[in-house]
Amino acid sequence: MNTAPEREHGIGFWLGFVIGGGIIAFGIHSVLQHSAATKPRSMLIWIVGADVIHDAILVPLVILIGVLLVRFVREQWRTPLRAGLLLSALVCFIGWIPWRGYGRDTVPDNPTVQPLDYTTAILTSLAVVWLSIALWMLVRIVRARRRARAQ
Amino acid sequence: VTNDSALTPATLHRRFTSSVHDERTAAVLGIALGVTFTVCFATGLWSHIQQHPQSWYIARPRPAGLYRVTQGVHVATGLASIPLLLAKLWTVYPKLFAWPPFTSAAMLLERLALIPLVGGALFMLFTGLANINLWYPWPFNFPAAHYSAAWITIGALVIHVGAKLTTTRRTLRRAPPASCALDRSTSAPSSDRRVFLGTVFGGAAAVTLFTVGQTVAPLRKLALLAPRRPDAGPQGFPVNRTAQGAGVVAAAQSPDYRLVVTGKVARELHLTPDDLLAMPQHEATLPISCVEGWSASRRWTGVPVRDLVARAGGREGAAVRVESLQRRRAYRTSMLTRHETADRDTLLALAVDGAPLHLDHGYPARLIGPNRPGVLQTKWVTRLVVR
Repeated sequence: MNTAPEREHGIGFWLGFVIGGGIIAFGIHSVLQHSAATKPRSMLIWIVGADVIHDAILVPLVILIGVLLVRFVREQWRTPLRAGLLLSALVCFIGWIPWRGYGRDTVPDNPTVQPLDYTTAILTSLAVVWLSIALWMLVRIVRARRRARAQ
Repeated sequence: VTNDSALTPATLHRRFTSSVHDERTAAVLGIALGVTFTVCFATGLWSHIQQHPQSWYIARPRPAGLYRVTQGVHVATGLASIPLLLAKLWTVYPKLFAWPPFTSAAMLLERLALIPLVGGALFMLFTGLANINLWYPWPFNFPAAHYSAAWITIGALVIHVGAKLTTTRRTLRRAPPASCALDRSTSAPSSDRRVFLGTVFGGAAAVTLFTVGQTVAPLRKLALLAPRRPDAGPQGFPVNRTAQGAGVVAAAQSPDYRLVVTGKVARELHLTPDDLLAMPQHEATLPISCVEGWSASRRWTGVPVRDLVARAGGREGAAVRVESLQRRRAYRTSMLTRHETADRDTLLALAVDGAPLHLDHGYPARLIGPNRPGVLQTKWVTRLVVR
């Protein structure tokens, strides 16, 4: 990837900077104006914290998984496996809150919040993901065989 | 991994050799996110205006299903943005280690604006996801913080777009690298990139498919990861606050219950549930559309609010404040604008699908009006104050 410093900070950048900066200033004003509700300090911690957790924990973890994949999985299976892992992580991320019952636990009187058995729901979603991946791998194998036979 | 033997700040970013870390992937994902974040921001702002009456805008009741659509789109695009954002950040991650970190004041400003952009975007999506689950693991008030952070994030996005517009346009105008033409069976870099983008967009589609059934009824059986099902709950649809949670169980069932119509009226009315049932009933099929993104369409029966205002001798086309039996709580009352009061389908509903309202749905009487956020469809109504 080209990470060389970009020298293109023309009129477009400065225009965006003035407009965007104004919008950010409005947002910060809104935070401070309603500080009793927004709790500016905790918002700052959450926003910067999200940045830090993503960059310093989440991504390195993904890189580690990628390294293990390259080391232990044969090349032809890596791409489908990567896709499967990516989709599985997504399903688990979205399903994690209802699976743990976060939110539901604060309204024990309301069974209409997170009404499903989320273990089954997540396993079903994962089954859909991995069946699709298996199908895709099968197509790859069949295609490769056909090509080998044709040659 | 490249052959750079020494790992120094200047060589670190070159260690990321995967083909998905390229300008083209970043540009495609950037455009997709630009679209979803703009849609999310616009629909979110619309929802904010609906819930917080503005002096320059008077809410209108038509089209009846508008809020249902805009809020469904808001939550769906937010959820679909999760894989798009994480993929985009993965693609540009090596840039975090670009060395030197900046070469001009403009570049420093551009990079500083990434803190509110990335942090803000992650904040928006995470708080939104938690909120549709009614989970609040933070000390701030969700609507206030989500609203303010939206402005900060969008402002940072405008700066980012200004900085990247030229690069993006140039990257996409260029023909894809020649390696794209390589045999599909090989794990050529371009194939990896295509698969990566395919997986990410497939992921966004899968998230949508597994959640959108919370508002698109025919897909409800597929809503495996949605925190709500439009068909789960008393009388076949969900509840946000139960009568017990609102502390109104006794008051709502008390023989002393009265609906009071007061304010600028010729004669104050004190009506029992039987009095209300004795009035001409009107039927309307309207959705209850929650800010958390679920919705359910139901057949409601009750007395049009405008009939009650007229019976009390209130001015035609008056605005009305609707008050619940609930004590405290942010959504104890709601306002009906003159347009909404005038609409015949704005009802004080007594029944749903032909049966008296369940206690959790607002028995003995609840407000239901066209094109209103669910939180403003006040339940356990006890007072109408004509303005």
